[in-house]
Amino acid sequence: MSTYAAPGAEEGEAEIATGLVRRIASGDASAEGELVQRYSRGILYLLRRLAPELADDLHQETFRVVLERLRRRELDEPEGLAGFLRGIARNLVIAERRKSARRRTEADEEELAQAVHPAPGQLSAVLLDEEAETVRHLIRELPTERDRELLLRFYVAEEDKESLCTDLGLDSLHFNRVLFRARQRFRELFLERRKGAVASP
Amino acid sequence: MNHAEIEERQIAELYLRGKLPPEEAATFEEHYLSCQECLDRLETAESMDRGFKRAAGQDAARVAATRQIALLAWLSRLGRSRQMAVLAMAVLVIAVLPGLLGLREVRERERELAATRSALEQERERSAAGSSRIAEEASEAEKRLRRELEASRSDLERERQARASADEQLADARRPRGNVPILLLDTERGGEEPSQRVSLSGSPGWIVLELEIAPPHRPSYRAILRDPKGSEVWRVDGLELNGRESLSLSLPTTFLAPGDYTVEVDGRRFTFRVLR
Repeated sequence: MSTYAAPGAEEGEAEIATGLVRRIASGDASAEGELVQRYSRGILYLLRRLAPELADDLHQETFRVVLERLRRRELDEPEGLAGFLRGIARNLVIAERRKSARRRTEADEEELAQAVHPAPGQLSAVLLDEEAETVRHLIRELPTERDRELLLRFYVAEEDKESLCTDLGLDSLHFNRVLFRARQRFRELFLERRKGAVASP
Repeated sequence: MNHAEIEERQIAELYLRGKLPPEEAATFEEHYLSCQECLDRLETAESMDRGFKRAAGQDAARVAATRQIALLAWLSRLGRSRQMAVLAMAVLVIAVLPGLLGLREVRERERELAATRSALEQERERSAAGSSRIAEEASEAEKRLRRELEASRSDLERERQARASADEQLADARRPRGNVPILLLDTERGGEEPSQRVSLSGSPGWIVLELEIAPPHRPSYRAILRDPKGSEVWRVDGLELNGRESLSLSLPTTFLAPGDYTVEVDGRRFTFRVLR
């Protein structure tokens, strides 16, 4: 199994994690703040992947559980802090889903009528439109005609791979490589645009 | 972390599409929890995919809207009568199409029904053939049972007759009777012809043998009756002398076919001849 580790990198993460765990166990409140700061974005992202509707509620709950257990020195291998965080976040999602399932069996018609509709709101729709517009704009900015055609036809027009391979004279493997490179160039433009947007809000 | 590998293998994109093996996905999740670069990559990839999908949806909606507008424009350019003709055609299509589809459905169902009937008929034929065979087998079994029953009845009848005969004999035996032959026997030496002879009738009855025993006497004796071939016919123990210093034996005459008989009593031999 790949660990994505470069020489020295994992040791760095392990040292940081070990230091944080030991300091929290010894009652260092600043270490708790550092832990939250270091892992907050990642935990929120993970929770949104697992359960978008529960992510914001479980984000804080995850850190509450983690910190309580670290204060009680329940983590035997401090270098495995990331795995510990991930496990608690996942378990909380599972537990919450089970609770919701039990509640669903007891819900009456009134409760169901009051339930929030899961369809995206106006703001989400506007943001999605903006993303779509950005995509169109950036595709037009790509310097290579083939990249533009490929991304438009494959992602926007959703043409199938076989017909594109035939039209562009590519075999399947070559198509994958060309598409990958076009996506890479598109991503660079996309990142540049996001950085620009962040710099000038 | 080795971001070159993540980049080269498109780990983030595979993760987003759920195409990473579970163990590798877990490792990547533990990695990105504290990796801002990978979180950026993931969010960018997600944003791009959302943008592509939204654009695709917009294009599809735009194409549909364009077609509707083109249709309306074409209709508006037509004259009144042609508009009515198109409208009538549309109504006809809307009304007739479900009917045609229904008709097709009915034909399909009819074909299925015919096939089912045919299968049912074949099944019936098979069943009838099977029934005929079963009937033959049942008939054979019935005949066999009847034969066995008849044989059992015959056996039972024979048994009844034998029992009746036995009962008759028993009743006859219980009846008091006179003229019972008494044969007084004395010991004889071997090789001599029996001096005592008795003639028995064909009907069943009894005969009494009186065996004279010379002293010295014993408290009890054993007697063995042997037929003309020397085979043991009857044996009795515990015989005691009567007042005449003799042993008395009574025998059913059915025991005795014509011939010379011997009674052995503790080394003594008594012989007699039966005549019919």
